[in-house]
Amino acid sequence: MSKIQEVQEMVAKGKTKVVAGLVQEALDGGAQPKEILDAMIESMGIVGDKFSAGEIFVPEMLISAKAMSKGVDVLKPLLAGDASTSLGTCVIGTVAGDLHDIGKNLVSMMLESAGFTMIDLGVDVPAAKFVEVAKENNAVIVAASGLLTTTMPALKETSLALKDAGFTVIVGGAPVTQAYATEIKADGYAPDAGSAVTKAKELVK
Amino acid sequence: MLTIKQNLKEVMTGGNPDRFVKQYEPFTMIMNTPITRLKPPIGGEIVNEWGITVRWPEGQLGAFPVHDEEHKLVKDITKWREVVKAPDIIKPDEAWKPAQEAVAAIDKNEKYATVFVAPGIFEHLHYFMGMEDALMNFYEEPEYMKEIIDFLVDWEIKLADEFIKHLKPDALFHHDDWGSQLNSFISPATFEEFLLPAYKKIYGHYKANGVELIVHHSDSYAANLVPFMIEMGIDIWQGVMSTNDTPELIKQYGGQITFMGDVDSGVIDFPGWTEEIVQKEIERACRNCGKLYFIPGASQGLAISSFPGVYEATDAAIDRMTEEMF
Repeated sequence: MSKIQEVQEMVAKGKTKVVAGLVQEALDGGAQPKEILDAMIESMGIVGDKFSAGEIFVPEMLISAKAMSKGVDVLKPLLAGDASTSLGTCVIGTVAGDLHDIGKNLVSMMLESAGFTMIDLGVDVPAAKFVEVAKENNAVIVAASGLLTTTMPALKETSLALKDAGFTVIVGGAPVTQAYATEIKADGYAPDAGSAVTKAKELVK
Repeated sequence: MLTIKQNLKEVMTGGNPDRFVKQYEPFTMIMNTPITRLKPPIGGEIVNEWGITVRWPEGQLGAFPVHDEEHKLVKDITKWREVVKAPDIIKPDEAWKPAQEAVAAIDKNEKYATVFVAPGIFEHLHYFMGMEDALMNFYEEPEYMKEIIDFLVDWEIKLADEFIKHLKPDALFHHDDWGSQLNSFISPATFEEFLLPAYKKIYGHYKANGVELIVHHSDSYAANLVPFMIEMGIDIWQGVMSTNDTPELIKQYGGQITFMGDVDSGVIDFPGWTEEIVQKEIERACRNCGKLYFIPGASQGLAISSFPGVYEATDAAIDRMTEEMF
C-alpha cells in the first residue's frame, strides 16, 4: 500500500493520532501536497456518502474530519497561496435566535474537508452579519442553518438578504425541507452533512 | 368503561382497550420535588446544580447548555474528576412534603404517580463537554467515558433511592435524546457498549424497588436501538418520530414495548398551527399504527404545547379518532 493510500485509510478510520505523521512521511517520500490533499478529500467524500446512507454515525464522521484536519495542518504551509487547492470561501452559521451548532459544525467540517475555506460565524447570527462577512471575504457560497420551527423566519430573512446581495445560499436544519428552501429562495438544501458537501460542490461549479 | 390506567394496560398488553390513550393522560408528573433539576426562565441564564451554564434565549423552545470555551465544564475528559462534582440530593424530610402531598392527591386507580428525570446519561455527557467532544470521546477516550458514565449511573441510583424513599412512585418518566430525526447519534455497537449497561442498572433499580412503569423519552430516530430499549426495561418509548416507521416497529416489537408519538411536534406545534393540521396528523398516526402497543401524540417530552392550544387540540383529535375507530 502506498503512503497516500495509507493516509486515506487512516482518515477514513479517524485515526487522529497517526495521520499527521503519515502525511509527513508521504511528503518525505516525494508526494506532492496537492496530491495528498486530494486523496484526503476523496476519502472524506466516501465518509460523507456512508454517513448519508446511514452506514456510519456522527462520531465516526467527526473523528474522520478531525483526522483530516490534522493532515491538513501539515500541508497548510506548503499549500499557502495555491488558489487551486481551495474551492473558495464558504461562510457558515446558525441563524439569529438559534443556539444549535452540532449539525452546523458537522457541515462546516465536511465542507472544509471537501476543499472549501470555511469562515464559521457560530450561532445566533443576524442576517446582516452573514451578508457583511460574505462580502468582506468574497464568499462563493453561504451556508445557513436553523434547527427550530421558531427560527425558520430568521432563516428566511437570512436567505433573502443574502440573495439580494448576490450570494449563493445553501440551507439546512431539522425543520427545513426542500420546499421551504425553495420558498425562501435558497439555491440549495441538504438534509444532512454528507449531502451538504455534494450540493455545495454542485452549486459552485 | 375502563379506567385510564386499565385502558393503558390493555393497550400495552395487546388486550381490549376501549379507546386511544390520550397522550400523557395516564401520568401525573411530580415536578415539585426538592431534587427536580433547575432550569432558567425564558430569556434567562443560570448555572445549574452541576455548575453548567444553561441559557434559554427568548423565542426558543427550551433551555440549552452553553459550550463556548469559557463555559464548557469538562474541557479535558482525562481531568473530569477535577471539575465534575455531583450536587447534594439528600434533603430534609420537610422539603419533600409538597411532592408527597401531590402524590397523595392522585387517584391511583386512574393515574400513575410519575417521577421525572432529565437530562439522562447521554444528555449529561453533552451538558458536561459539548456534543462534539462527547461523541468523539466515545472513540478517543473510551475508558474515561466509561468512568464518567459509571459516576453518573451511581448518582442516578442515589436519585432513584431518594424518589423511592420519599414518594414511592408508580412510574418513571426519563429523558435522554439518543438521535437526530434521521439516525441515532451513535452506532448500535457503541450504544450497546456504553449506554445499555448504564440503563440496565438504572431502570433495573427502579423496577426492583417497586416502580411499575418505565417511560423513556427520546424524540428522535432510534428504531435501531429498540432491542436495547426492551433489554433495559423500557415499557413505553415516548417521542417516537415518524421517521422511525412506527407501524413497522409495532409489527416487529409490539408486546415487548409500547410506542408513544408518531406525530412530530415540529409538524403540528409551530406558530402557524391549525386544528386541521393536528387532526390530519393524528388521524394518519392512529390509522397507520392501530389500537395496540401505540399511544398517539406529539413527540414533545412533556404534556405541554410550545404554542398555546396545540396539546388540547391534539387531545380533541384523539377523541375524534376514538369515536371513529372504537
